[in-house]
Amino acid sequence: SVQPPEKPLQAEEWNRLRESFRSPEMFEEVMFSSMIRCNTPIDVAKSLLTHVARSKGDIAYNLLVKYLALCVQQGQTSEIRDVYDIMKIKFKILESGAYNLLIKGLSNSDQWRMALTLLEEVKNIMIPSRTNYESCIKAASRHREMNLAVDLYHEMLSKDLVPTLDVLQAFFDFSRGMKGAELQKELFGILIYLRENQIYPHKTFMRSIKLWFESIPGGNWRGHLTNIKDSGQCPVCNHQLESSDLTEEEYNNLRERIIRDVIHGTDTFRKTSPQEFEAFQTFVENRLPFDIVIDGLNVSHIKPRKMQCENLFDAVNCLAKENARLLVLGRKHMLINSSNWKTEIMKEMQNKADFFFAENISEDDAFLLYATLRSGKHCKFVTRDFLRDHKACLSDSLMRQLFRKWQRGHQIVFSASAGGKHINFLPAFCYDCVVQTTGDTWHIPYKNTFEEKYSYQVPRKWLCIQQK
Amino acid sequence: TCNPSEKLDLDEWKKVMKSGLHEEVSETVSERKEVSTLDAAREILEMWRLAGRSVPEQISEEQLKTFMECPSKSAKKKYLKYLHLKELYKKNDKRKMDEKRERRLETQEQVSKTDETKRNSFVFVWANFMDRAYSWRVAQSMIFGQPLVFDMSYEKDMSVREVANTVRQIVLSESFNRRSADPFHIHFCNLKDDSLYLKEFVKNYREAWGKLLITVTDQCYTEVFPKDKLIYLTADSPKVMKTFDHDKIYIVGSMVDRSIKTGVSLAQAKRLGLETAALPLEKYLLWSSGAKNLTLDQMMHILLTLKDTGDWKKALEFVPKRKYCGFVSKP
Repeated sequence: SVQPPEKPLQAEEWNRLRESFRSPEMFEEVMFSSMIRCNTPIDVAKSLLTHVARSKGDIAYNLLVKYLALCVQQGQTSEIRDVYDIMKIKFKILESGAYNLLIKGLSNSDQWRMALTLLEEVKNIMIPSRTNYESCIKAASRHREMNLAVDLYHEMLSKDLVPTLDVLQAFFDFSRGMKGAELQKELFGILIYLRENQIYPHKTFMRSIKLWFESIPGGNWRGHLTNIKDSGQCPVCNHQLESSDLTEEEYNNLRERIIRDVIHGTDTFRKTSPQEFEAFQTFVENRLPFDIVIDGLNVSHIKPRKMQCENLFDAVNCLAKENARLLVLGRKHMLINSSNWKTEIMKEMQNKADFFFAENISEDDAFLLYATLRSGKHCKFVTRDFLRDHKACLSDSLMRQLFRKWQRGHQIVFSASAGGKHINFLPAFCYDCVVQTTGDTWHIPYKNTFEEKYSYQVPRKWLCIQQK
Repeated sequence: TCNPSEKLDLDEWKKVMKSGLHEEVSETVSERKEVSTLDAAREILEMWRLAGRSVPEQISEEQLKTFMECPSKSAKKKYLKYLHLKELYKKNDKRKMDEKRERRLETQEQVSKTDETKRNSFVFVWANFMDRAYSWRVAQSMIFGQPLVFDMSYEKDMSVREVANTVRQIVLSESFNRRSADPFHIHFCNLKDDSLYLKEFVKNYREAWGKLLITVTDQCYTEVFPKDKLIYLTADSPKVMKTFDHDKIYIVGSMVDRSIKTGVSLAQAKRLGLETAALPLEKYLLWSSGAKNLTLDQMMHILLTLKDTGDWKKALEFVPKRKYCGFVSKP
């Protein structure tokens, strides 16, 4: 690559540089890219543009866009406008790259309203990107035009664009201390959006939410950070959180859909065979209901140094307390005596739990879901699997939401701190880990900013907000 | 000398760009309102091309419609890139052809004309002779040869482009087979009259389609052959093929699967209660990356080699080199 000069150059100096470059036909393009990278002063870029315009009588579109990027990077508002004027004269329409830059650049300046005009222009030729909306919404809310920001936000949702957490947070940041029932309703709406899409705000976002609540004039809201007890009670306000149980109707819907979409899918033969599935159904119906369904193969890998059947044995023993009815799902190969699967231990386990052995080529997770859902709402299941591929088989978002809720409330996972000899399990939560409200209280789970989160892991930290 | 930048008018480029454009402005304003959607799409594409994106220079109306029907932005981008690359390849091929023709013309001037016609006719006769020899062998295979089945029942699982790719691979396979010393008797089973497969075949073979020495049927292989002789080849099979059996009839699923639909052909075999097998790729190759499903022409090469030699190492040479880093050295 080339190093851009520090000062504007004369024509002959540019010519000399160009000739020393190994592919002169690409010189201007490469030079502009490296100017963007080095954040070179725009006067240098201007001198190159002038040189190009003089020698060729025209400047190519891609060079103009690159120059525009440099201007946006340096917040050169009047230059951005000039480039826009020139582009509008030369070209009938612009493409998304130029519009993205123009909107981004202008929305950060005192001419932010111009960005709105450009957004309208984009709409004539395509669906604007979510970052287009993001720039405009942030600009509007920065200038306290919350109604405008809200309108744009709804417009973006109606176009199926997913807002970034950043935009949502901006609403809370810029509405701080503002009056107005309408605006409050909108922000509550955003919290409901978090609830419906099972989004957990990160720590700084949570703080913006807290500060906004506490700033509502005459609202008397107070927020506290807390951990919810295992019983589901909030230690700050003693409020009992929503139960993780699904309603009868939700549960039945979910069950039917999982059997239809996940287990059968488009072709029963892909995951099992009709004969096998029928055999399994009969097996389950004759022994219902179970309390816990265990993915045997998955559990047998918990401790890699141990024999697989020992791991399973420990898990079964640990879960068999209090006369719980267990079902272990396995594959036929577990029944053949081998270094990992000892026949005596397998026999002993079969006294404590029911076992179903599927063909070695069938997918046992489908059976896991079926047996658990058939046993009823109280039944839990054990696996380390995230079940992501099964969730993906569900066609609509409402069902996926229900699936996640059910998963949160019914999946027993291994405790990570199990350093000792014994296997430990974390019980499934009896309360549901989502944003929730009763009108005069809000409970909002949040995560530390860069925390890794699996679908079965939920945040343990909460923001409790109550109205005094 | 004085500071050069003082003499520079840094905004001069703006004047150049704005000069002599006023007439056009009024023109474009009146035009704007009447732009149809197809033209609008064409305009956008032109702007993308100017912005340096991967966009074809020429685009037909049909392609433009396909482009507009793409469900998402990324699908649009992918389709354009595909057209762009196709255009590049075509241009390259044309350039090579032109160069070749030029070279030929040059040599022609040096060699006397009588010699040339002699050689030309000899080449022609030889090619004709070889074609006949191939046909004779394939005709023999249609009576005595071992059948090989292509299962044409996956149209519903594929996109239009995937079907076109599939047929292209089968055409290649068929030509390898025709040129081999001991060809298979190829069967296209489950090939329906109104299918996209068939349309693509006719597009590829043109009038030769009716003269191919293969068996085409809309029947299922289970109706044509005894069930216990059939073995369905699929990468998802739990059973690994040990040796090539000359008395069995192998079935290959005619499917190109870009969108990861595992188990489709295994499901088909399970449904019909057929034996299945996978190639012993891991037994012989140190697999490095890439999917275990191979293209249909690679399968054909492998099966032909196995049939002739029974040598797995030789046969598996046809697995693309990028997918494995070497052969397993047997103890």
